[in-house]
Amino acid sequence: MTTPAADENLPELDLSWMNRRGPWDTHAKPGKYGLTLADIQVGEYGETPQQSQNLTGRSRGSPPRRAAMRIGGYTVRTKSDIWVENASFLYEEALQRQWSSATDVPWETIKPLPDDVEQAQCQLATFLTEVEFVAGDVPARWISVTTPDYFEARQVLLAQVMDESRHMDVFRKRALANGGGLMKATGATAGFVGGIDLSRDFTEMSSRLHISGEGAVLTIFRMGELMAYNDAEKAIYRLCAQDEARHVAFGVMHLRYMSQKAPERREEIDTYLDEAEGGMLTDAANPAGRLTQTSESLCILLGGGRDKFDEGFRKIVAIRRRQLQEYKKRVISAGFGERFENGRSRLNELMAQTAA
Amino acid sequence: MSEALCFPSVEWLNAVREVFNTTDSYRGAGGGQCDCTVGLKVDDEVFIVEFEGFGCSSVQTGTDFELGNVDFYIEMPMSQWQDMLENISGNGHAIGEYTLNTIDLGSEEGIAHSKHGDQYRQDLFVRYNQTLQFFFDASHRVDTTFENS
Ligand SMILES: [Fe+2]
Ligand SMILES: [Fe+2]
Repeated sequence: MTTPAADENLPELDLSWMNRRGPWDTHAKPGKYGLTLADIQVGEYGETPQQSQNLTGRSRGSPPRRAAMRIGGYTVRTKSDIWVENASFLYEEALQRQWSSATDVPWETIKPLPDDVEQAQCQLATFLTEVEFVAGDVPARWISVTTPDYFEARQVLLAQVMDESRHMDVFRKRALANGGGLMKATGATAGFVGGIDLSRDFTEMSSRLHISGEGAVLTIFRMGELMAYNDAEKAIYRLCAQDEARHVAFGVMHLRYMSQKAPERREEIDTYLDEAEGGMLTDAANPAGRLTQTSESLCILLGGGRDKFDEGFRKIVAIRRRQLQEYKKRVISAGFGERFENGRSRLNELMAQTAA
Repeated sequence: MSEALCFPSVEWLNAVREVFNTTDSYRGAGGGQCDCTVGLKVDDEVFIVEFEGFGCSSVQTGTDFELGNVDFYIEMPMSQWQDMLENISGNGHAIGEYTLNTIDLGSEEGIAHSKHGDQYRQDLFVRYNQTLQFFFDASHRVDTTFENS
C-alpha cells in the first residue's frame, strides 16, 4: 500500500477562522439544576448590553463579522424594555415543568355529565381556546423583533408560546372529550384582549397581557378546581394555573425591573394600568366579569347546574373579589403600589362594587 | 414494616421527603424544578420545608416569627390536615376535594398565606402547586399516626 503524495496543486487549508472566536477557555459547570442558562453566564458571555446594536442575529459573545446582512428588524434593543432579572431561571423552570395534555391528564375519569353542565363546560372551554390563541400569538410577535442579545428574555417568551399552545389544545380536547363540542365563539378576542395586540411597545403589551389579562385568567384557572367535575378537569386547571403563574411572574418581574431602570416611563405604565382596571369587570374577556355567556357558564359550573345558578353567582362574586385583590398585590409587588394610595386607581371602587 | 411515624413531626416530614426525593415520577407531569421555602402550620406547631432544584432539601421545626421569612405558609387545623392525609393514604394521591388547591379555595381566606404580602412570592403556591401536591401525595407510602388519635 502506498501513501498518496500531497497534491501540490491543492491550495493550503485556510484555518484562519480558528483564530476568530469569543472569549476562550470557558468551563461552565453544572449546578444542582443541571447546566442551566444561569450557569453559562460566564465572563463576557454573561454581559447584556443596555443598548444593543446587534441587527444581524449574531449570538451574544460571538465576534461580529464584516459585511453581515441585517436579518432581523429588531426594534426591541433597549434592555429595560424587555428584561427580567430571573429570565434564565424562569426559562429553565418552564422547560422542566412541562406536562403533556395527552398523558398527564387522567382523561378516563371524565364521565357523562348533565347536559347543562356539559354545555357550560364546553362554553368555557371554547372561550379559553380563543383566549389561549391570543396569549400565544402576541408574545410570539415580540420575540421576533427582540435583539438576540436579550435571548434569555426571548427564551422565556418562546416557552410561554409553547405553554399557551398546550393550553389551547387541552381545552379543545376537553370540549371534544365528553359528548359535547365547541360552542359559539365568544368574541373574547375583541375588546381588551384584542387590544393587547395593538400595543406599540413591549412593556405596554406585557402590562396588558401578563399582569391584567393573565392575572385574571390565573384566578380562573385556580378556581377551575372548584368547577371541575372529575380529576381530569382538576388536573387541567391545576397544571394550566402553574404555567399561568409563571407568565404572570414574568410580567411582575419585568415591570419591577423597568420601573427601577427607566423610572421616566412610570407615568406611561400607570396609564396602561388605568385602562386595564377600567376594563377589568366589564369586558367580555374576563369570564368572571359582568354577565356574558362565559360568566353564565361559570355560574352553572360553580353552582352545580342551571337550577343552582344563584349559588354559582355567589361563588363568582368571591372569584371577582379574589381576582381584584391578587391583581392589586401583584401591581404593588411590581412597584406601582402608590396608585392605590394617591387616588389614581379605580380598583377600590371596583372592589366596593364587587362586594355590593 | 417500618415503624409508624406521628404527624406532625420532623421525623414524619423527613420520611415523606425521602419518598418524594426518590420517586422519579414526581419530577415529570407538571412537577420538576422548584425553588421555594414553605411554612406548614398545624394548629400551633410550625415547620419549615425547603425545596431546591428537583427535590426537597430540608425540613425543620420553626416558629411563628419565622413564618415571616417563608415564601408562603400553609395553615390548617390538625383535623383538616388529618382528613387530607387520610384521603391521600386511601387513594395513593389526593382526590376530589382534598387537593391542596381545592382546600385553599374552600374558604374565602384560603390556606396559603404570607406575612410579607408580596404576591409574587405568594403566587409560588400556585406556580409550584403540582410539586407541593406530589410532596404530600408521597405521604401515602409513610405509615402515619396522628397526635390526637
Ligand atoms: Fe394560557
Ligand atoms: Fe399564559
